[in-house]
Amino acid sequence: MGSASFLSVLRRLLALVSAIAVLWAAARVARRDLLGENGESAEVVLTVMHWSGDAGQEEDRIVEEALRSYEEAHPGIRVERINPGDAGSFYTKLQTMMAAGTPPDVFYCGDERLPSLASMGVLRPLDELIAGDLAAGSDPGLDDFYPVVLDAYRWDGERTGAGPLYGLPKDFTTIGFYYNRDLFEQARVPLPSDDWNWDEFLDAAAAIGELEGCTGAEFVTWPRMLRLYLATQGCDVLSPDGSRLTVREPEVLEALQQLSNWRHVEENLLTSGKSRVATGATVFLTGRVGMAGPFGRWVVPSYRQIEGFAWDFAPMPRGRERANVIASVAWSISSRSEHPREAWELVRALCSPTSQDGLARLGLAMPSRRSIAESEAFVDPTAPPSRDRVFLDQVEVARLLPVPASPKFDALLESRLNQAVLTGDLSVDEATRSFEAAWRSEGESPLMRGAFPRMPWGTLRIVGLVAAAAAALAGLLWWRRTGAGRGPLAKEEERAGLLMASPLLLGLVLVMGFPILLSLVLSFTRWTGIAGLETAEWVGLANYAQLFGEDGRFWTSLRVTALYALLAVPVGQAFALGAALLMNARVPLIGLWRGVWYLPSVLAGVGVAVLWRWVFDGESGLANALLTPLLEPLGLQPPDWFGADAAAFGVPAFAIMNLWMVGGSMMIYLAGLQGIPRELYEAAELDGATAWQRFTRVTLPMLSPVLVFNGVMAVIGSFQVFTQAFVMTRGEPGDLTRFYVLYLYNQAFDFYEMGYASAMAWILLVVVLVLTGLFLRGSRRHVHYEGLAG
Amino acid sequence: MATVQFEAVSKTYPGGVRAVEGVELLVEDGEFVVLVGPSGCGKSTTLRMVAGLEEITGGTLRIGGRVVNEVPGRDRDVAMVFQNYALYPHLSVRQNMAFPLERRREHGGLLARLTSGSAAREEDARIAAEVERAAQVLGITALLERKPSALSGGQRQRVAVGRALVRRPAVFLFDEPLSNLDAKLRVEMRAELKALHQRLGATMLYVTHDQEEAMTLGDRLVVMDGGAVQQCASPREVYERPSNRFVAGFVGTPSMNFLEGKMEGGRLQVPGAQPLELGGRHRERGGGLVLGVRPDALRRAQGAEEAMLHARVALVEDLGDRCDIRLEVEGDQELVARRPASELESWEALEAGTVVPLTFDREEAHLFEPGPHGVRCG
Repeated sequence: MGSASFLSVLRRLLALVSAIAVLWAAARVARRDLLGENGESAEVVLTVMHWSGDAGQEEDRIVEEALRSYEEAHPGIRVERINPGDAGSFYTKLQTMMAAGTPPDVFYCGDERLPSLASMGVLRPLDELIAGDLAAGSDPGLDDFYPVVLDAYRWDGERTGAGPLYGLPKDFTTIGFYYNRDLFEQARVPLPSDDWNWDEFLDAAAAIGELEGCTGAEFVTWPRMLRLYLATQGCDVLSPDGSRLTVREPEVLEALQQLSNWRHVEENLLTSGKSRVATGATVFLTGRVGMAGPFGRWVVPSYRQIEGFAWDFAPMPRGRERANVIASVAWSISSRSEHPREAWELVRALCSPTSQDGLARLGLAMPSRRSIAESEAFVDPTAPPSRDRVFLDQVEVARLLPVPASPKFDALLESRLNQAVLTGDLSVDEATRSFEAAWRSEGESPLMRGAFPRMPWGTLRIVGLVAAAAAALAGLLWWRRTGAGRGPLAKEEERAGLLMASPLLLGLVLVMGFPILLSLVLSFTRWTGIAGLETAEWVGLANYAQLFGEDGRFWTSLRVTALYALLAVPVGQAFALGAALLMNARVPLIGLWRGVWYLPSVLAGVGVAVLWRWVFDGESGLANALLTPLLEPLGLQPPDWFGADAAAFGVPAFAIMNLWMVGGSMMIYLAGLQGIPRELYEAAELDGATAWQRFTRVTLPMLSPVLVFNGVMAVIGSFQVFTQAFVMTRGEPGDLTRFYVLYLYNQAFDFYEMGYASAMAWILLVVVLVLTGLFLRGSRRHVHYEGLAG
Repeated sequence: MATVQFEAVSKTYPGGVRAVEGVELLVEDGEFVVLVGPSGCGKSTTLRMVAGLEEITGGTLRIGGRVVNEVPGRDRDVAMVFQNYALYPHLSVRQNMAFPLERRREHGGLLARLTSGSAAREEDARIAAEVERAAQVLGITALLERKPSALSGGQRQRVAVGRALVRRPAVFLFDEPLSNLDAKLRVEMRAELKALHQRLGATMLYVTHDQEEAMTLGDRLVVMDGGAVQQCASPREVYERPSNRFVAGFVGTPSMNFLEGKMEGGRLQVPGAQPLELGGRHRERGGGLVLGVRPDALRRAQGAEEAMLHARVALVEDLGDRCDIRLEVEGDQELVARRPASELESWEALEAGTVVPLTFDREEAHLFEPGPHGVRCG
């Protein structure tokens, strides 16, 4: 009796603790909201968010110092600094904070993001604040800024260069090529002059390409760099006012064809671009590449570590014209900041000559203030590159490229044109047509053109609350009714159980259930996911109509994913089962073998993906190193998995990679195998079954419930492929490896189409549900649960 | 039908554990031989060696005259019934029973069906008939379409037997087939198996740890302990003339009573008992000797002169048709006497601790050398 009453007390106690935990958590949230509205006005707290580029902690230090001195000069203001890491993480974090309604007050904004952020209304125009300062006799010194840099942050709703100012640039860079002086001298070609042209560039690249093991140049084809190259050839993909696509005009095609030839026709002229492993700035560090670019100033901190060879900077080669573009970062203020005045003061402090002086010395970028840029803080004869002046001279020919507000433009431009100029799986003609068609369909989408009403959130909230209350009531009634037959002891136990489970249940409802339902609602809206929810517009079924009717990329991503599932599920499951059969053997050290086979499944997805990117590297990957000796005698070439042969080999490469991660399925199969009574095999042996018959007649039927379980999990898993594709290919070339969830991610986080992405998520849910249902129904006849009953 | 001949058959596991040592046995054609012994005695291992489920590590095993040491189980023409039935849970009773025939058919597979359709159909019919026949013999015709999970233990066992039956194998092997059944069903099935054997006249090798089952079923018992054969004889002989103390103690319920004694001057001295005059060859010997008396041979002496030993009554157990009396002799040796129910009242009238005179017939006394496996010596 003593222990029984002790247990009962313990149970009540635990239930009480759970209930208190829930109430406390709820109270905390409620209190935070209340306090937020009351506002503790004693102290102004500003949040500042930035990223750190190649200069890393140095950038942290300089920002931190600027903030501390600002705090000293402004008593009563506290500044909190957030640095989520690189620019990619920064924008994801920024989007999340904005969507949550708690944006940082002051944050970095790159000029390439300005049109989209400004058009979404999340940035505060600075003109009023500037006017206020001027009226108060405090000149922010805008005259000191390079006009072309400042203009990049003006946005009139259609294009940059005019309209309100949305950010104060902290620094900028012009673009050009970094060159390896030693290789130039070895190849006996003249060093680049300040006015060199593409012919000279090509001669130098060709000469260096003849050197043993060397390549002429690394030529990145990011959208801005590609457009800069076109600018030097006197053309662009958009008309100067940004209204018309000019990518199919003859001079553009000619220029792109030329670039494609340099890479794919000439030998050792440009690094191939097949490889994602060694591209970009780092390939220059090897010392085997004559030139690398077009890059801005940001590579300088890492290039300053180079010890093996001498290097310097050359301007962008001249084609029909001399041209350059500006890449810059500004400090912007959130439109929702409650302390715009203080935030503006802070921005001014962060862009003050003192701060710029410190940043300039890092070598990372060029000060946006002319006075600092011309000073010895930037033009430093002691640190490479020796030709700092070249950066400044290029400002004269720098221009603003028209950029549409939609981030899809750059994304489509990069993914489509790279198929011609980088991976080479499409011709220039095909790639430009494909880009033109994709962008046109974007522009013609009713979602882009239509005007939609705002979401009636107030009504929805009431409807939601009523529905939730009704559901709770129904649940309570159901519980009462089903509980009728239970005795008092069972009821007490049930009550205690529910109380104890309540933290989890509430968590499920609030943290999982609510967002899931919200995403269903959002799938009928157009919402950026960055401006507040109140900006969402009701579009009805337009998202779904667009997806099914117009969005070719949606179907492509579905096809890519389905193809992957068709390959990866059967092959992967057969492989897992085979591995489990091996691991079921009684051999020495079996524990070790099992561990080794399972190991890949516990490794982090991103790290594994990076490794596999190297494995499938077209030129120096392990896969092709193994395949070459096998294929060469047959006169065959190993595929360029994620390059020119991606149409046939891209998705299979992912399926092959999947084989490496079958450990989880294998363990479940192994458990299933060990649950099969040995006598069945013995009986079958005596009944005359061969080893194969024992496998097909005993193992497979006995394992059928496990097979179905693993099969369903694998189907679900194959429709959720994201990390591998995100890390390894980003969906490229073109959309050849754009898995469904990756495209969903692109829509939500790159294109700011959260409503559209929500619709995609719900379609995915239905697809997976239907597939799972079909799978279960189709397998019913062949699944034997009798073995489990024992 | 075939003989099974063991010649010094041994089994040593990797690591040196000797499970079976030097078994010598000839199972005659059509004979029902029961391997019996306590768990771990090597009886199952011996059976599994016949089945080909265990490698034979020493000696020679012949089935029907053919050395089968190296022959895989499926080619030995033996059928086995397992303790847990080992039915294929995903197949119906009919499919379970047809399974061994399907595996052995000459015209199997899709190709055979296409090329020699009529032969394949004939074979189908033959298999179906064979299954029906076996089902009729076992009385499970009504169950043919069910899955094993829908059967009771006894029904499952019948199906398992049926699966062996359809094959008409040279040798039937049974590995504790009745152990998972309840007592009543066990007795029923026992009788059915016995009847089946008589009907088929097949060679059967049967393993059990239950000596009662062994006694009732076997033409011959092979009593095993510690991996070695202790005695191999008819049930009657095993019971009446156990070859050593182990067999004597193992066979019979309750176990035989053993009293440790010493030979002195041709007489066996047991504490608490009258010196026992032993004739013949025992007269000369000295040292220890063990006296064995079965519980049902012990009875109350009618008078002092008839009493051969004295014991204290400890407990009287009423078993309905009979009663067991637990007794203690001097030197803390325990005895059990089994008496008919008619004596129950007179025994129950005695208070615990009462010393009673007991006696037994001289011809009912067994004598063994000392030690757990002491050899019979009279």
